[in-house]
Amino acid sequence: MKNRQQIKNMQRRTALKATAAAAGALAFPSLLRANDKPKELIVRAWGGAWGEALKAGVADPFTAATGIKVRLDFTEDNEIKPKIWSAVDQGRIPPIHVNWDTSTNATISALRGVTVDLSDLSNLEGLLPLAKPAGLEGYPLVNTYAYVYVCAYRAEAFPDGPPTSWKTLLDPKYKGRIALYDDGIGFNPIAVIAGGGTFEDIPDNMEPGYEFYRQLKANEPLLGEDSDFTTWFQNGEIDMACTISVNARAARQNGIDVQWTVPEEGCKVDTDGLWIPKGLPENEEYWAKEFVNFALSREAQEKWCSLLGLPPVFPGIAPPEDLIGDPSYPTEAEDFARLVSVPSPVLVENQPKWFAKFNEIFQG
Amino acid sequence: MSLIPSKKWVLWSLVSFSLVTLSLPTIIIIGASFTSGDIIQFPPDGFSLRWYERLWELDDFKDAFLRTFQVSLICTVVAIPVGTLAALATVRYRMRFQQTIQVYLLLPFTIPLVVSGIAMMILFGEIRILGQLWPVGIALCLINLPFMIWSVSSTVNGLDPELENAAHSCGAPPVQTFFAVTLPAVMPGIITGALLMFILAFNEFLVSLFLTDARTVTLPVQIYNSIRSVITPDLAAVSVVYILVALLAVWLLDRLVGLDIFLKSR
Amino acid sequence: MPKRTLDRLPLRWTLLDKLEAIARFLWPARLRGATGWLFITPALLLVGVLLIGLGYMIEYSLHELDLSTYRLKDAYTLDNYVFLVEQPVYLRVLLRTLLAATLVTAMTLFLAFPYAYLMVRTPSSALRKFLLVSLFLPFFIGQVVRAYGWLIILGKEGIINTVLLKMGLPALDLIYNYGAVVFGLVQYMLPFAVLLIVPAITAIGEDIELAAESLGANWLRAFWHVVLPMARPGLVGAGVVVFTLSMTDFAMPEILGGGTTDFIASAIYDSFFQLSNSGLGAALSIVLVTLGSILVAIVFRLTGAGTLSIRQ
Repeated sequence: MKNRQQIKNMQRRTALKATAAAAGALAFPSLLRANDKPKELIVRAWGGAWGEALKAGVADPFTAATGIKVRLDFTEDNEIKPKIWSAVDQGRIPPIHVNWDTSTNATISALRGVTVDLSDLSNLEGLLPLAKPAGLEGYPLVNTYAYVYVCAYRAEAFPDGPPTSWKTLLDPKYKGRIALYDDGIGFNPIAVIAGGGTFEDIPDNMEPGYEFYRQLKANEPLLGEDSDFTTWFQNGEIDMACTISVNARAARQNGIDVQWTVPEEGCKVDTDGLWIPKGLPENEEYWAKEFVNFALSREAQEKWCSLLGLPPVFPGIAPPEDLIGDPSYPTEAEDFARLVSVPSPVLVENQPKWFAKFNEIFQG
Repeated sequence: MSLIPSKKWVLWSLVSFSLVTLSLPTIIIIGASFTSGDIIQFPPDGFSLRWYERLWELDDFKDAFLRTFQVSLICTVVAIPVGTLAALATVRYRMRFQQTIQVYLLLPFTIPLVVSGIAMMILFGEIRILGQLWPVGIALCLINLPFMIWSVSSTVNGLDPELENAAHSCGAPPVQTFFAVTLPAVMPGIITGALLMFILAFNEFLVSLFLTDARTVTLPVQIYNSIRSVITPDLAAVSVVYILVALLAVWLLDRLVGLDIFLKSR
Repeated sequence: MPKRTLDRLPLRWTLLDKLEAIARFLWPARLRGATGWLFITPALLLVGVLLIGLGYMIEYSLHELDLSTYRLKDAYTLDNYVFLVEQPVYLRVLLRTLLAATLVTAMTLFLAFPYAYLMVRTPSSALRKFLLVSLFLPFFIGQVVRAYGWLIILGKEGIINTVLLKMGLPALDLIYNYGAVVFGLVQYMLPFAVLLIVPAITAIGEDIELAAESLGANWLRAFWHVVLPMARPGLVGAGVVVFTLSMTDFAMPEILGGGTTDFIASAIYDSFFQLSNSGLGAALSIVLVTLGSILVAIVFRLTGAGTLSIRQ
């Protein structure tokens, strides 16, 4: 009897404790979660100059401020996507805490409902309108900067001045010495215009672009990812490429004379963003949000984006000295007007088809 | 041996070519890992241990190594009983559908690894065990199981059935016969198989690529991911770890069962 | 001292007796005839995991991707298979893969046979051990690390090109092309092939060879008419293994092919991950499994089964 009484008492005590804890949690939920720091945050990132910029500009200062280690995971952006999706669908803990992603891919994930809403981040206030994801309710992701897929070239190979048209890619003089992304990203809409179509043809009539690709294939372009472009320029293996300015700038900073320009057909401008997958333990989600919030702070935006050489979404940050007035660093409305911007919903619906078609043409 | 000169010459030139192809990457990696320069070049830019020191500081690689070890251990521990019993069953016991069972047990070999890997990724995902370490060990055991069965069954073939019968007619009950007669006789096969299973799991890449993520990544996948971004000499230092483990395994195999076991006609 | 042994032995006996009793209880004598099935069940179950996974794959392959939600539609359809047939790119990738696998098989067997032959026939046990270790070491080092070694050797700034440049010669494109992938696969497959050919050569008595040569056949003819035909089971087994392994390989085309020479495994990978289209990827996987099985079945039908069977 006594035993049972004791147990009952104990149960009551534990129950009381639990209630108190629950009440406390209700009162100061963030405080509780904030005190329960995870061992590390895993942030998916791109390698090369990109990863280094994130590490120096955001991850390291974040670790210094909070004591939480940040591990960069260099899984490819397309690969992490289905892995996160199935994890969320199946109620497993997703493989990463924060995804650094193209806005298009991030929007696809947001539409699928696997992203955490970021509307309550304190640093959202006062950011440029660019930060707000297009065509979506609230902030299932947040854009962090804009970038341009420029026409980068080795100055030595163009003694008469920069290429004025993307059609230069077809010049047999540069056979085997030109490069594109391995899925054609950043060039698909441009190819349509260079192939004789207009901006209005996108996305319903992509045939001029595909015809341009077929001709381009004969000129044997190299196909690669971000860090490949830097390496190729450094080794003097290519003369001209459609790549994000970051990669060309990385080669330039290593002493290679690489320049870039916006040819008459224009260049595609786009944004990258950050998002957090659903299904993380509460405290980890809390600190993942803190990480994204920190990435939007003036301090992080200034360092991160100046290392990348890209215009941040935090207003009023001066461009790095080598990029003042540069076409790859659009800040004003008229800067953007000179570039080709495909609306996000169009990209979401069509980009995968363009990739498939690109593969079909170049893998044949 | 009566090799007439031209035969000797032809044989040796072909074998030398093979030897160079087999050994060159190993030698180069070892050489490159001791460079004191920042990039991999040959001849190495001075001698230093700095990349090994750096390796020691890189928690990612250390963690991945420990996970790989864990996975290989799980794989081996599961493979030993499962493979041994299966080998005994197929060789020693009369069963119906013998042929079908043989084909069935070879499925891990006949189904392409890329398909097996994705199939298990889907299945493990559906039953909510993806993202943990132990299913990786089970998966690696499964895809290499025929190696274990092969190793053991080759020694079962050499085991005289009269031995077991003798034990039986002397009154030895089945469990005792198993532990006192059968098991010691097939031990060389079990050791060979276990070593093979461990080492194959230790450097398995493709199936692991599908079943691991940033939290559970194993060393071969980690190396593969690094190769795809920037090639630095610390990777060569990691690879040397592999070379050492392989050397240890070959030495063990030779000591415990003798490499000559693979030269026997079956 | 003897007393301790006496103390200990009975303990082992009692333990064994207990075990026997448990075994009898769990597996009574009347089931003795089915002991084989008891032994094989764990392996059957383990391999069964693969079959269940394949079952899921077949299921996936029958659903089309809904591009507005990126989920597979509920309706059953054969559209994924139709798509594979209609898109010429898949046929091209398949043919490229089959051609590579054929080349790799031919070259690997050509190199593996002399290696195995020398290893079996040499009277020097030191040489035999050297050849064995040279074979096992790379086999145990693994594919990724070896591919990495070749990257260092063949790369744009690799050893060969550095040497060429120092000699004032132009650098060569040794990597990121079809040839590099085929070469990478050959060196990767070599140990497999040698180990599968060796038993067949061991089985051929050296006296038969000597007899042929003493009857006036030169060594090439003796090889062609006596040794090779007698080693056929080993060669066929090795050929099948090398062909199927290289046909389905992923790492070599990815690492040494530089993304421009996709093989069928890369196409499956890309469908799942780059296109996020698990239905299409599953369909491609099923096609690959079917093709592979048909090929293996044909080879065994032609040359007699059992080349690869567990029971030799």
